Amino acid sequence: MTINKIKRTALCLSLLTAFSCTDNFEDINTNPEGATIEQLDQDYNSIKSLFKPAFNHLFISETTWQYQIQQSLQADGWSGYMTTPVPFGPQNNHDYVLNGGWNSYAWDDAYVNIISYLYKAEQRSKDKFDQFYAWSLILKVATMQRITDMYGPAVYSKFGKGVATYDSQKEIYTQMFKDLDFAVTELTKRNAAGEKTAFDETDLSLYEGKYANWTKYANSLRLRMAMRISKVDPALAKVEAEKAVSHSLGVFTATADGLKIKSPTDLNVIDVMSHSWVGLFMGADMESILGGYQDPRISKYWNTSKVTPGEYKGVRTGIIYPSGSTYSKFSQTGPRTKTGEITWMSTAEVYFLRAEGALRGWNMGGTAQSLYEAGIKSSFEQNGAEGATAYIADNTKLPKDYVDPLNPANNAQAISKITVAWGTDKEKNLEKIITQKWIATYPDGQEAWSEFRRTGYPKLFRISNNQSNGLISTELGVRRLAFSDSEVANNKEGIASGVAALGGLDNGATRLWWDTSAPNF
Amino acid sequence: MKKIISIFMILFTVQVSLAQVKTIKGSVTDGSGAPIPGVNINVQGETASASTDFDGNFSIQVAKSKTLIFSYLGLETKNVVVGESNTINVKMTEAATNSLNEVVVTSLGITKARKTLTYSAQELKGEELTRVKDANIINTVAGKIAGVAITKSSSGSGGSTKVTIRGNSSFTNNQPLYVIDGIPLSNGGSVQPNGTFGDLAGGNRDGGDVVSLINPDDYEGMTVLKGAAASVLYGSQGANGVILLSSKKVKAGVETFNVNSVTTFDSVAYLPEFQSDYTSAVGDAKSWGAKQKVEGDIKGFFNTGTTQITSMAFSKATDGASTSFTYANTDASGVIPGNHLKKNNFGIRQASKFFNDRLNVAVTANYVSQKINNRPVNGLYFNPVSGVYSHPRAFSLSDLKTYEVFDVTKNWNAQNYPGFAAVSESNENPYWQINRQKSVDINNFFNGAVALDYKVSDWFRLTSRYSYNRSESNFQKEMYATSAASLVHPKGRYINSNTIATQNYADIIGLINTNFSEDFSFSGTIGASINNGKSAGLNLDSGIGGGLRNANIFTLGNFANNNGNVQTAYQREVQSVFAATTFGYKDVLFLDAAARNDWSSTLVNTDNPSFFYPSVGLTAIISEMTEMPEFINFGKVRATYAQVGNDIAAFITKPTYSIVAGQPINPPVGPRPGTTLKPELKSEYEIGTEWRMFNNRLGFEVSYYDSQTKNQYLQVPAESTNENGYLNYAINAGSISNKGFEVVLFADLVKSEKFNWESRINYSQNKSKVNDIPAQNVEGRIVLTDPGSNNYRYSLVEGKPFGIIEGKNIQKDAQGRLLVGDNGKLSVNADWEEVGNANPDFMLGFSNTFKFGAFTANILIDGRFGGEVLSLTEAINDFNGVSKASGDARNAGGVKINGAKADGTAVTTMDTFDYYDKTAGRNGATGEYVYDATNVNVREVSIGYTFNKTKLPFMQSASISLIARNLFFIYKDAPFDPNVALSTGEGLQGVDVFGLPSTRSIGLNLNLTF
Repeated sequence: MTINKIKRTALCLSLLTAFSCTDNFEDINTNPEGATIEQLDQDYNSIKSLFKPAFNHLFISETTWQYQIQQSLQADGWSGYMTTPVPFGPQNNHDYVLNGGWNSYAWDDAYVNIISYLYKAEQRSKDKFDQFYAWSLILKVATMQRITDMYGPAVYSKFGKGVATYDSQKEIYTQMFKDLDFAVTELTKRNAAGEKTAFDETDLSLYEGKYANWTKYANSLRLRMAMRISKVDPALAKVEAEKAVSHSLGVFTATADGLKIKSPTDLNVIDVMSHSWVGLFMGADMESILGGYQDPRISKYWNTSKVTPGEYKGVRTGIIYPSGSTYSKFSQTGPRTKTGEITWMSTAEVYFLRAEGALRGWNMGGTAQSLYEAGIKSSFEQNGAEGATAYIADNTKLPKDYVDPLNPANNAQAISKITVAWGTDKEKNLEKIITQKWIATYPDGQEAWSEFRRTGYPKLFRISNNQSNGLISTELGVRRLAFSDSEVANNKEGIASGVAALGGLDNGATRLWWDTSAPNF
Repeated sequence: MKKIISIFMILFTVQVSLAQVKTIKGSVTDGSGAPIPGVNINVQGETASASTDFDGNFSIQVAKSKTLIFSYLGLETKNVVVGESNTINVKMTEAATNSLNEVVVTSLGITKARKTLTYSAQELKGEELTRVKDANIINTVAGKIAGVAITKSSSGSGGSTKVTIRGNSSFTNNQPLYVIDGIPLSNGGSVQPNGTFGDLAGGNRDGGDVVSLINPDDYEGMTVLKGAAASVLYGSQGANGVILLSSKKVKAGVETFNVNSVTTFDSVAYLPEFQSDYTSAVGDAKSWGAKQKVEGDIKGFFNTGTTQITSMAFSKATDGASTSFTYANTDASGVIPGNHLKKNNFGIRQASKFFNDRLNVAVTANYVSQKINNRPVNGLYFNPVSGVYSHPRAFSLSDLKTYEVFDVTKNWNAQNYPGFAAVSESNENPYWQINRQKSVDINNFFNGAVALDYKVSDWFRLTSRYSYNRSESNFQKEMYATSAASLVHPKGRYINSNTIATQNYADIIGLINTNFSEDFSFSGTIGASINNGKSAGLNLDSGIGGGLRNANIFTLGNFANNNGNVQTAYQREVQSVFAATTFGYKDVLFLDAAARNDWSSTLVNTDNPSFFYPSVGLTAIISEMTEMPEFINFGKVRATYAQVGNDIAAFITKPTYSIVAGQPINPPVGPRPGTTLKPELKSEYEIGTEWRMFNNRLGFEVSYYDSQTKNQYLQVPAESTNENGYLNYAINAGSISNKGFEVVLFADLVKSEKFNWESRINYSQNKSKVNDIPAQNVEGRIVLTDPGSNNYRYSLVEGKPFGIIEGKNIQKDAQGRLLVGDNGKLSVNADWEEVGNANPDFMLGFSNTFKFGAFTANILIDGRFGGEVLSLTEAINDFNGVSKASGDARNAGGVKINGAKADGTAVTTMDTFDYYDKTAGRNGATGEYVYDATNVNVREVSIGYTFNKTKLPFMQSASISLIARNLFFIYKDAPFDPNVALSTGEGLQGVDVFGLPSTRSIGLNLNLTF
């Protein structure tokens, strides 16, 4: 080896042969610590390795600041769950002066760190290893459902096909249903045949790769999507929802059916933001609703505050925050967000979806009330809370008024006037379902914000420091995120198609396709 | 290429008959007729050399009509043309400064008569590098060479230095090439910071570089080749200029032992100013509480640092062989408690002659080992300076000294920060950081070289060299549990990061030197070289999320997971052929032509891995061509045009997946689909003139240059929906032009028996402009330092000079008054604005040497004019209410402003807290924290005494001097030293974020030769 090197060097040094010594340049210019696709093809790692990024990035679970701008500073605040009561300079999502840099992140991360991998999975497995293709479609839909619900039009059918132009949200929902059709059919078939799972090595969820679980998740996801379009396209919504529930494997029913993943670093980004950064606190709506109901889940979600010792104290979002530390003694997050476990979708949510479906007259395999109550019980079970029966029966407790111990100007009367117990008024019952779903879905503010936009529930405190100069109405709140800065700068053709598909201005006030102003029923 | 070779072939055949070699013998004496041992004798244009023995005799093989150059420090260099006689006796007299007949070391170690150069080359003698010694030799260059900007890193002793020659010409690397005895040095540094928060992996640290490790006493001089023409023979590596270092050569027949000892005391200078009138409210990290006397002086935190450098050299030479051995020891304690540097340098050099002195074999080896405890970092994280400045003033620094308290529930010592429930990443107890987040930096460097020089015939020599460089940098940091949880896992964190870089370099060079006829001379160089550089990094990091299984046990086996363990690599090979020729006419006109072709591994998979570039230059010695007035001794004009190619980053044309914790990750960057990459190309022309007059007592040199670097390799953000998942595309775009001139002026103002005064001025100015930044992807702006959520950004902007500092400003009304909102507060504009430029407009160095009998005094004043700096430190100090400004404003009842409400009502005063709360801080109106970077500094002062040789017992010489470095600023606007940067890379320029305060050093230098 050394001798060869010396020989080669000697050769190269002689002037006449200098021209022909570049044959090993390809080797020299290949990173020895990198992996080539040929190396990854062994043991099919070139396919199997493409799924983990989705697990780590759907909800970013490794790097706290990334999650902060992926979701925490957007939907987690606008959903009333939590707030970061920091002035943050001139561009602030909580004042409705939307920060383009932050708001681009969810989009950029989804495409760069999830979709580009799943696209490779499609290319490498379609028609060859269709179980992997099916799985990639489920993860793709899980990702894109979130992305389209944030931004509206997005790159779906044209990804990897030259210029990345955008599909309308309607087109995306149609394709997502179709993609789930393929995935569910494929996995159902393999499950029925008793085939051993091929996902076990790379499944980072608690499902251990089981086809039946993933099929149930796909069905539950379909139900969520169906409900989202229930106002804009009730006919399709009913078909898709009933398809999901009536499927042989069905949707989540046992609490353990829910999809949870484990952060590879066992880090809980919400806990870090709240405690290490002292920068994330209970929302005033959480205090009003959970506190008013004396909901036992409050001690799971939150710690008592230092500003009113022994009590839970939330912060209103979108008020004036005098300094970064003014509200630093309010309630920080509790045991629910201590571990590195992240819930993608809970069984409780699925019960509430079915409850609403039943309320809408769809065949959901149960009455609206029974499903509503099953949802509450499942959420109690999931959180290890006691006293669900008494809670469900409570027809007196109401959300409570909010008092800001530091500044009475922020005090607010409770807007929501509903109790927990099931009633007779259809609209009020919907409000109860969505309010309970809102409690159960914590801490996934993205889903809560979407449902708030669709239904107007739960009734949340409005912001008082709207700095958007009338662009975004205080009453309606933020309706979407503007397209990614990266796309605006680098994919001009794509953005033009996106704005056309949006049918409105590319700002936070334009409503998405499913976000109609029509009444709920 | 073939053409050039054939031209050479023709030239060779012509030459054979012309050369006649013979042995010249003689002796060298001084004015009194006493023999001088150790005089260097060189043959002009060749590498051959000899030196006089103890009796002043010498012998050298040389061809007729060649010029012998006799040189000796402090004596006038003498040139003698070899005639018929075989004996040459020379009488040397005391040197007039800057004699006409100097020789300079140029590219590839070839010595040339200075007058023949077609480009600008400026020299520093060894003495100038060691008179006021710095542990890093490069720091002593500041102010001494026109056109060279020296910026120290803020990491204290052992830190690297940013050297910019004739402005920044590249987007990615502007450091010059260092060459030792003709062989390129691999000066790869391990890391440089590039964020204003601080690196999460142990803070914003300077990983050091190789050149900072070398022993200044090993070198007899330095030549700086500034332009592309000078450096064309080094190819792409030399595109930013070349700094040549020449080892001390042993004098024949002499045995010497030299000891040098320097001790300096370093004290912190230029600290920010703090208030002492307001405390912090209970539980508040900021000091906006009640009026109450508090600790205002935080100087007590810093120690007086000491630097002790002891070096010794043994050397001995006999006929045909010489040996030298050098050793240096550096021991420095920094101004931050716990910071300590230890360095040991070993060097050995052996030269022998064989085959009737036809073959000269020189072997050198150097080894350096350096260890630094708690190397200072900058930024907000892991940085005690941040905690010292920011700590809430209800507590004094002595309260913080109890940095840990026993926690019974955990059975460990937990961080104690009085007044805080939980520490945060930018506010930890500084003493905890010093004692419980200790770091160790180890840098080892080995260099071994063999040089063979064979005299084939009188007109042709063959030289071949091989060198091996190996540098290792290791960084270890042990962070205890209960550090800030956003930086350190609750059970502690351990980082152990190691990088080993190696370089194998070999060349073979043919040197031709002859005269065609009486009138025409010719010298030529033709050669080939191969340079293979590699590095391998192994970074172990238990991480913030994963952490350690068992608290505070810092070892790999205790890692909770493998996520932070990464291997990195770099490989590059460049093969080259080159040729350079000088044609001389009547010793008054010289024409240079050179060309080089490189093949680089980094360009594989592109259209062509090969690139060619030429240079041409002309010098005319006017003073010899025409009749000049009596007082003019020398005058020349020169012009040159050159190109230098530069390859691209390694591995870019062959993207691979990286694997992190078992997960293959998309390559972050690749060529844009459908495009290919090509090398950068720098073109430069330079004209200059040099004059000396009044018996060489006054002289000046003026150079003007105009360079442009095109097809810059750069990475631009890719659209996030690209199918490869690339974050960036690698493209060729962008050009940087630099225009400027340099003036070197020197004068022997007083020259008498008893008193001498020599003065030298180096002046340079540079104007740069950035062009051709694509509108697509980057919208005409390359961001070199990403701001994160802080309001400092460092960018290259289309049509603007290199290195724009961007910040944010307070909202103003149409009349320029601060706009006060309805809530009575100010607001900060959302948009970035240009607030300054990090580069100076011009630089001035003014050095004076006074000799009065046995006393010598030297003073160097160094000025940088123009440019701006931004201080996030001041912004944060104001925000935290610890700055003097915030205290004074409170005492005065508020901040005086020229403000107005939207309705036009004037507002003249604003509550101090309201004002700073909106405008200060790391993400406030940073435009308010921009300062003129202009500064004039008394850089070096020395007063020395040389003992009378004849009265010394058993010693050949002895001298002692009092020295001072960075004594004081004659003028400075910025609240910190603008000559210190947070990074010696391309980012983080013109900004301070809790950098180590600059130090003033005063000490003693003792030099003895036995």
